[in-house]
Amino acid sequence: MNRINKKLQENKKLLSIYFTAGYPNLTDTVSIIEDLEKNGVDMIEIGLPFSDPLADGPTIQASSTQALKNGMTTEVLFDQLKDIRKTVSIPLIIMGYFNPMLQYGVEAFCKKCQEIGIDGLIIPDLPVDVYNDEYKATFEKYGLINVFLITPQTSVERINFIDSISNGFIYMVSSASVTGSSSGFGDEQMSYFERIAKMELKNPQVIGFGISDNETFTQATEHAKGAIIGSAFIKHITENGVNKTEVFVKSILG
Amino acid sequence: MKLKICGMKYQENMTEVAALQPDYLGFIFYDKSSRNFDTSIPEISNSIKKTGVFVNEDLEVVIEKIKTFNLQAVQLHGEESPEYCNDLKNRQAELVSASLEIIKVFSIKNEFNFEVLKPYEAVCDYFLFDTKGKHPGGNGYTFDWNVLNNYSSTKPFFLSGGIGFDEIEAVKKFQQSMASKYCYALDVNSKFEIEPGLKNIELLKDFKTNLFFHANHGTDSNLNKHMENYNVNEKGYYGEFGGAFIPEMLYPNVEELRQNYLKVMAEPDFKKEFDQLLKDYVGRPSPLYFAKRLSEKYNTKIYLKREDLNHTGAHKINNTIGQILMAKRLGKTRIIAETGAGQHGVATATVCALMGLECIVYMGEIDIARQAPNVARMKMLGATVVPALSGSRTLKDATNEAIRDWINNPVNTHYIIGSAIGPHPYPDMVTRFQSVISEEIKWQLKEQIGRENPDYVVACIGGGSNAAGTYYHYLHEPDVKIIAVEAAGLGVDSGESAATSVLGHEGVIHGCKTLLMQTKDGQITEPYSISAGLDYPGVGPMHANLCKTGRAEFMSITDDQAMTAGLDLCKLEGIIPAIESSHALAIFEEKTFKPDDVVVVSLSGRGDKDLQNYIEYFKI
Repeated sequence: MNRINKKLQENKKLLSIYFTAGYPNLTDTVSIIEDLEKNGVDMIEIGLPFSDPLADGPTIQASSTQALKNGMTTEVLFDQLKDIRKTVSIPLIIMGYFNPMLQYGVEAFCKKCQEIGIDGLIIPDLPVDVYNDEYKATFEKYGLINVFLITPQTSVERINFIDSISNGFIYMVSSASVTGSSSGFGDEQMSYFERIAKMELKNPQVIGFGISDNETFTQATEHAKGAIIGSAFIKHITENGVNKTEVFVKSILG
Repeated sequence: MKLKICGMKYQENMTEVAALQPDYLGFIFYDKSSRNFDTSIPEISNSIKKTGVFVNEDLEVVIEKIKTFNLQAVQLHGEESPEYCNDLKNRQAELVSASLEIIKVFSIKNEFNFEVLKPYEAVCDYFLFDTKGKHPGGNGYTFDWNVLNNYSSTKPFFLSGGIGFDEIEAVKKFQQSMASKYCYALDVNSKFEIEPGLKNIELLKDFKTNLFFHANHGTDSNLNKHMENYNVNEKGYYGEFGGAFIPEMLYPNVEELRQNYLKVMAEPDFKKEFDQLLKDYVGRPSPLYFAKRLSEKYNTKIYLKREDLNHTGAHKINNTIGQILMAKRLGKTRIIAETGAGQHGVATATVCALMGLECIVYMGEIDIARQAPNVARMKMLGATVVPALSGSRTLKDATNEAIRDWINNPVNTHYIIGSAIGPHPYPDMVTRFQSVISEEIKWQLKEQIGRENPDYVVACIGGGSNAAGTYYHYLHEPDVKIIAVEAAGLGVDSGESAATSVLGHEGVIHGCKTLLMQTKDGQITEPYSISAGLDYPGVGPMHANLCKTGRAEFMSITDDQAMTAGLDLCKLEGIIPAIESSHALAIFEEKTFKPDDVVVVSLSGRGDKDLQNYIEYFKI
């Protein structure tokens, strides 16, 4: 069974952390992953930096720009991760934009992920229908779970369609926004979380965007299986360096 | 597959519909119908079969109508017997048109006994199946086409009943199925009407393009028309380029636009308002000017399409007028745009002022510094200019910021993209708004030299909106050669260039798959050109396809060549061109044309905005 599915079966609310590979320094990638696991994080999204990250706010953009300046590439990331399964056992997901994957070759990319022990991918600008028509078979061939996003604007019909072609979890974007833009969830978002929970989808939901502290983590996981933190973690390592992961994780889990 | 358009009523409308070259035009001779035909038929092409539609009519009346209107086909919509059909067939000899086609109609609800067709086999040429309902003839909805799986005859038939624009997918699916094996033609009527008998030309045009230009993998290819399609297909692709590679957060916005843009553009009110503004506000038609001295210099016939004479000084306004009207129809109250040099920003701020809508323009921090006059213009027009501080702080980053804004404001905001780029339907929508350029060239050229088609159309390409508009009505005219001119910057191999067709590879940028300048690793690279309007790392997907298929010839022009050609136009014709347009003019030094060649060049913008560049470059 895929590590993601196994993790989703655990009887607990999941904390997932996103960070940009190659940031703040090119060679920080592996130690950040190991540190996160050690401090009780359940799942990790490794961000493959892109020059034009449309769905990301200033924090992740800046980290991506820096990572690229540091020399991060798809090739370098795969090389850094080649022995990651010797030390890390939690689910690992690569999150990145479609163009770098397209240039590497979608099949070659998937194959490499399988070799390394990557469990899934999140590609925000690969549309559901294109995935379904052209790439689903390839992802499945290499045992990769593709994770799709839904937003408060996504129609019920489309959510059901996304649920039908997903086999891991659904990434619920908390509000209409890019990453890292809100603070605290209001009534509107809470009722959206509730509305989706009531749909009783076959895939559990993990909420991302706008989760930055214990309060928002608790709010998000009231109805959902877990929550993803990105910008807040990147801000934390920008300000405190990469060695204070423990403090950050504790502040979230409370 | 053939196309029949039925229920013609109005003279002028008939001429317009006939210009779309359907295979059959139907005239209903039945006084209980709201489309009863009671006028005369204007002169239409002989290749279109004039079809009279009758319901239990006296045979002598039918014969008389055939003679009066020179009908080539008769469609029998009532309970006409096989004997009746036979009698009609036997009277052929006395008719004007010796080869009369007889089409017998049968209405289908959920099932149909195909045995009833047997007695008609010998006396009819075609069957026509439509939906059984209250009235004889179509009732505005389709029947279950699966019924035709049981079709036991081998006689070709017309498929009819409620077929409209929304049925394109269903028709395509049907074409793939066995049931369509003997489907000879599609018959359309009420779904393409503004009122009974008055056909919506734009909608018909789109339907025909969508269905008949590239659906050639149907079951019987002999019946299909073969023609390469350079327009967008229903999935948003030009060949392998295009699509909508957008994050889910943008899906509702883009989908709303996709579902509505063709319908809105086809509304008579929309068209009227658009045309009126182009005329009274923009100052269209823009002149097509024969550049005599320039022509003499290059010993060929050069015509300049004067988009530089539009309000705000470039072609950009054609698109912003169209999109602001679209935004209003969609109930949007807030407009965002990206801009590089500021031309599109100014054109957007202008139409927002015109319509009283809030306007936010994203512009790279570096561009803001080097384009101060345009920043001032936008502010004077009431727009808020927001600096893009990320990445390289130029056009592509401004585009990223605009897209992020749209993600954050999905309900009330419309994003006016300034070029023929972005996720589907943007490239097609922008192209259609810009297509007024080639629409005018056609009649202007006809007026001036007696023919609509030049030998060449030439335009510069950044994202490619002026080029798309200049080519649009010539894409499917094989005798018109298309030249696309890219900015080579300091030289294609210099590392400082924007020649995407040479330096680009297939990739995804700003929501579409196209040719794109990027690193081996898929990171998008910074282009360079002296012309701010051409320095974009990709081209619109339509152009990527024109390049890949060889339909267009791509040329690269350096900064130096463009600047020289620009100054040349000043001295020879008294026109100061935008540096973008100067790239298109520079090809005459590179390529030799025949003395008789008619070459139309899009003069996309005026050079006022580039004065500082000209001053510095030529040390004026």
